[in-house]
Amino acid sequence: MKRSRLPLIITGLVLLFFYLPIMVLVVNSFNASAFSGHWEGFSLRWYIKLMNQRDIMMALENTLIIAASATLVSCVLGSTAAFALHYYKSALQHWHFTLIYTPLVIPEILMGMSLLLTFVAVGMKLGLFTIFLAHVTFCISYVAMIVLARLQDFDFSVLEAARDLGANWWVTTWRILTPMLAPGIASGALLALTLSIDDFVISFFVAGPGSTTLPIRIYSMIKFGSPALLNALSTILLVITFILVWLSQHLLIKKEEEK
Amino acid sequence: MKKTILLLAALALMTGCQSRVASLHFYTWADYIAPELVQQFEKENNCRVIIDTFDSNESMYAKLKAGATGYDLINPSSYMAKIMFDQDMLLPLDKSKLPNVANIDPEYLHIAVDKEMSYSVPYMITYTGIGYLADKVSDVVPSWKMLDREDLSGRMTLLNDMRETIGAALKYLGYSLNTVNDDELAAAKAVVIGWKKNMAKFENEQYKIGLASGEFLLVHGYSGDILKVQEENENVEFMIPEEGFSLACDDLVIPRSAKEVDLALKFINFLHTPEVAAENTEYITYLCPNTASYDLLSDDIKNDPGVFPEPAIRSKGEVIMDLGEDNQKYIQLWDEIKAAGN
Repeated sequence: MKRSRLPLIITGLVLLFFYLPIMVLVVNSFNASAFSGHWEGFSLRWYIKLMNQRDIMMALENTLIIAASATLVSCVLGSTAAFALHYYKSALQHWHFTLIYTPLVIPEILMGMSLLLTFVAVGMKLGLFTIFLAHVTFCISYVAMIVLARLQDFDFSVLEAARDLGANWWVTTWRILTPMLAPGIASGALLALTLSIDDFVISFFVAGPGSTTLPIRIYSMIKFGSPALLNALSTILLVITFILVWLSQHLLIKKEEEK
Repeated sequence: MKKTILLLAALALMTGCQSRVASLHFYTWADYIAPELVQQFEKENNCRVIIDTFDSNESMYAKLKAGATGYDLINPSSYMAKIMFDQDMLLPLDKSKLPNVANIDPEYLHIAVDKEMSYSVPYMITYTGIGYLADKVSDVVPSWKMLDREDLSGRMTLLNDMRETIGAALKYLGYSLNTVNDDELAAAKAVVIGWKKNMAKFENEQYKIGLASGEFLLVHGYSGDILKVQEENENVEFMIPEEGFSLACDDLVIPRSAKEVDLALKFINFLHTPEVAAENTEYITYLCPNTASYDLLSDDIKNDPGVFPEPAIRSKGEVIMDLGEDNQKYIQLWDEIKAAGN
């Protein structure tokens, strides 16, 4: 039977639609022209200009601080939540699941507004810490869902065997459970990291003075700033993302090989 | 390892909240002040200026209305400043601490929303006019009737903004762009529908790229945008129609929740020092309406009608005012224009 070429063509087209705009953006970031209307020669002027913008660098710093801390905290909380959801099948956990799941489907604007109203109501000073709290809130749900999926085919007899052999709670958790869940936690962490770096709507509402993040800055630049600077900025972010993805995949493969 | 990261993150979070020198929190648009000026002010007053940005008047308003605080100085457009003032969100300004506002262009104040500067001080003015490619468009006359040119059909754009576009037609006909007279509005509608036949589209953003690349030959747009395109394509020219045009201003206002009121007042005063205002105008290429600064502008800027129109033309500018209930008339007219067939 002759195999159809259609799937190949469709895959190719889909990938083209995915990556062509990104390629255009990367190429344009090296374009000397400010409006990317036409090619005016290779230039690094946008990158140099970018480095000299104190505000942008500050926004980048804010974004990375929040992303790193929110990812870390949501990973710990999300993973433990997933474990509880899987291990204890009580009515309480049913409610727990609903509550963990809800942030995934709540419109962002609603979440941003309600978080802002809450922070204002309890008299909390808006700033990096409130953005951090907001990001942890939605990141937990994503991490929990991914780790939960990983737990579906988790063999709990391994844990029981470890306990039979005299391992205490700490050893079982740290030496057996965590390493076995590591791939799930890692992909949850990556998702949380990207979501946190990416988030605009929620961050805009809960950001306070001095805590402008990169997406907030970028939105403002679309209106007033230079589109070419945005291209350069996006290219840098893209490179960081690719390095992170490559690193995580590399680590996972190494882990598999060790087994 | 994990503990160290956590500790670092916690530290970083904490340091974000405290600093020893006074800091002025300025909530504004991106790239809307010359960076050197910020540094100069910081040095002179031994303080830090922390700039946060918003992307539209409306989102900034929504955030403040919900109770966000901590900003000492905000930079909304005039119409939004008026709304905020009416809602009692702004502090009245203590003019005794603002000696430099004496430099502000009285001609502009004459048409401003807040003529007395009781709650706002103008920061930057932009105009709405016509941008075109000088090498491809011949026989240019400084008039809105350029939009009637059939030889440019399909290569022109109008702003997708009801007040700006209907306003252009009203000005063309010699009326106020804040009119609520039904006959005048009906006449303007006919004019816009006539223009629409020649338009490629109604467009607010992409016209810049279209003009830079030569896809569009003539566009209805904001001076600041078109001057940026000009840096790119030297054939681009900006023209202000002699019948009149709309003029917009972003204002400096101090919210009621401001903590560093004195520092904010100092900053407003600083921005209207003639040298500073001139430097800022050169950087942003919008006009800071500061009469004393006009002489200090470079010839490039002074001869650029996009930044610095002749006083005789400038006096024909008009600021778009909020019409309250009568806004509905414009909305209806705009719907009819959009629905009109070609």
